[in-house]
Amino acid sequence: MHISEGILSAPVLVVGASLTATAVGYGLKKMAYKQMPKVAILSSVFFVASLIHVPIGPSSVHLILNGIIGLLLGWAAFPAILVALVFQAILFQFGGLTTLGVNTFTMAFPAIICFYLFNRGIKGKNNFFALTLAFICGFLSVLLSGIMVATALVFTGELFMQVAKLILIAHLPVMILEGILTVFCVGFLRKVRPEILDLDA
Amino acid sequence: MKGKLYLILIFLFLAIIVINIPIFAHKVNIFSYVEGNKVYTENYFSDGTKCVSSKMEIFDNQGKKLLEGLTDQEGNFSFEIPQEEGDLKIVLTASMGHRAEGIIRAGELRNTTGLVQENLEEPTSKETTESVKVHMTGEENKVVSAEISAQNLKEVQSLIENILDEKLTPIMREIKKSQEGKISPTEIIGGIGYIFGIFGIIAYFLSRKK
Repeated sequence: MHISEGILSAPVLVVGASLTATAVGYGLKKMAYKQMPKVAILSSVFFVASLIHVPIGPSSVHLILNGIIGLLLGWAAFPAILVALVFQAILFQFGGLTTLGVNTFTMAFPAIICFYLFNRGIKGKNNFFALTLAFICGFLSVLLSGIMVATALVFTGELFMQVAKLILIAHLPVMILEGILTVFCVGFLRKVRPEILDLDA
Repeated sequence: MKGKLYLILIFLFLAIIVINIPIFAHKVNIFSYVEGNKVYTENYFSDGTKCVSSKMEIFDNQGKKLLEGLTDQEGNFSFEIPQEEGDLKIVLTASMGHRAEGIIRAGELRNTTGLVQENLEEPTSKETTESVKVHMTGEENKVVSAEISAQNLKEVQSLIENILDEKLTPIMREIKKSQEGKISPTEIIGGIGYIFGIFGIIAYFLSRKK
């Protein structure tokens, strides 16, 4: 749900930009250079994921994948998503350059929230419990992103409840699909290489 | 190391899938063309979904709003060519934060039918009066036929204009469509390369700090 240029008012853009700048700074500080391949790969996954369209009625929605990105990267999700958004804006005119701050924040903030909520749970002993949490994580991250986009749009005079309902209903298939994807990824990583899920954020 | 390899494989798998399906930029696009005295627009998201009931605003080249309306169930919106001179700007605002702008050049709006018809009329009428003057005897049928053929010429002219309009509009539509940014695998791979490059540079600086 990239917000295009020319829709948001200047105060919203400035707030988004400053919040993102702070968070990206913190994320860069927290990054260890050993993490770099992981960060780069997940940033590329995010970059490509927005091209995968989920067909839904009258509007157009796409995958976001901020759930799994948050789980695997923690605070590094902010720089990862920012870099991916920059290139989406430059190469595909997807979103916008003035809206980079807002778009990064609406997608990376739920990622870090889901990290703090679920990171410990998915490493637990019980497989079924961990996978259920993974589904909720994937689902919730898209939901929170939708709410944040609606919040940003509210300041341009749209009614919050109307916009929020529209966004959330349109993204319901995405939420479910991402929940499932997160389950597969987490299940896979738990079996093959659980260390990837380890992160001291 | 094995885990990272699997991560790379999952990602490559996704990338291959994405490249093989029709890929379109995720934004709204406006296709506009002029036919007769109206401007027609068809609006949709580039993955094909039509842009229904979305707000359209038309501005003149000074930025003054001339008119606004909503797209219909097919995503189309049309309006009569306004009197104002110069280029027109169309702004489409679709749901969930999507927006697009388009420009219709003044040249497209004013066709030259009127002018050409006028030019054609004057010489022929001059001719008829002259032929009347010069050939006084029994040239009446020639005069009459000259007048008739001037009329026919005008009709033929507008007929040709209409047919050309009809034939060329779909072609122009196709040209505009193909001009719209479609995402190529080149751009995707390029973008991924840039991403790795940037994080590589960051990694370099982070490692030096340690």
